[in-house]
Amino acid sequence: MGSAPFDAAAAAGLLTPFKILVAGGFGVGKTTLVSVISEIRPLRTEEAFTRVSTGVDDLTGVRGKATTTVAMDFGRITMGRLALYLFGTPGQDRFWFMWDDLSYGALGAVVLADTRRLTDCFPAVDYFERRQLPFIVAVNVFDGSRHYDPEDVRIALDLEPQIPTVLCDARQRSSVKQVLITLVEHVLVSATAGGDSRASDGPSAARRPGAADLPA
Amino acid sequence: MPPHGRWVDREAGPVVRPYALTGGRTDPVGDTVLDLIAVVAACGPAPVPTDSPGLSPEHRKLIGLCQLPATVADVAADTALPLGVVRVLLADLIQQGRITVLPRRAAASQASPDLLKEVLDGLRSL
Repeated sequence: MGSAPFDAAAAAGLLTPFKILVAGGFGVGKTTLVSVISEIRPLRTEEAFTRVSTGVDDLTGVRGKATTTVAMDFGRITMGRLALYLFGTPGQDRFWFMWDDLSYGALGAVVLADTRRLTDCFPAVDYFERRQLPFIVAVNVFDGSRHYDPEDVRIALDLEPQIPTVLCDARQRSSVKQVLITLVEHVLVSATAGGDSRASDGPSAARRPGAADLPA
Repeated sequence: MPPHGRWVDREAGPVVRPYALTGGRTDPVGDTVLDLIAVVAACGPAPVPTDSPGLSPEHRKLIGLCQLPATVADVAADTALPLGVVRVLLADLIQQGRITVLPRRAAASQASPDLLKEVLDGLRSL
């Protein structure tokens, strides 16, 4: 202290940070998506095992620990004075406590979906609808997986018609770039429409797993 | 990054339990939880004298990392300490007047169309 006062306003102009969330089920390609387009950095967070975790990824070797350190997907894209931060939301149920923290002040979210396990992205879709955070659904087209019409995915997920649904390849930088552009365009439309195009008011009807059946 | 996005054993970081560095505190002072992309900056130069009262080595390290404005997430990534610990330590420094949170140009959730167009232009030119 006692140094020259920091010119806060000028410094703030140096960096205008934005935050975009990348959500979706475990193993859907969030890490791939974040790392293909951004400068990725290790960000650790503490996880408390308050519940027994079953039915999720392998916990062999960490059983009995009260807390463990987990890595979050975290990437930064610097564009002049703008800095776009991508945060992968943890895919497992036991990380729900982090979602409010991550989504606070976020510009919007990309829900990454895998057509083989479409139900995995229900929690994310429900969450962003409730939070009224603009989001799009990007279907990660894995090699060998059938190519679906995004419209079928929209129907299967029971999405509002204004929510963009696109196909992408999370391994391709140009594809991921287009996903982010689609999201920001959607945020812009949502903002200029005075929020009309955001999620419908009130909680949506609960998604039924059966609704996710894609046409064979 | 390890498979399953998890660090265990040595990769998990120091053997010291992370919250030992905060004296066991898990909530920041003043109930202010810093946003991940809040921009923080040191109010004074580094290095801070080692005999400064109320400052741990980690506090001093954070002051060093905040000589240029940086987001909380970037600072946490630089320390290899868990985010929760960094937030507690930064809150201490904010309370002591050693670190300040810079005002944001706009809350991202209320970003103006002009700012959004700027983001779009930036993405398109990637």
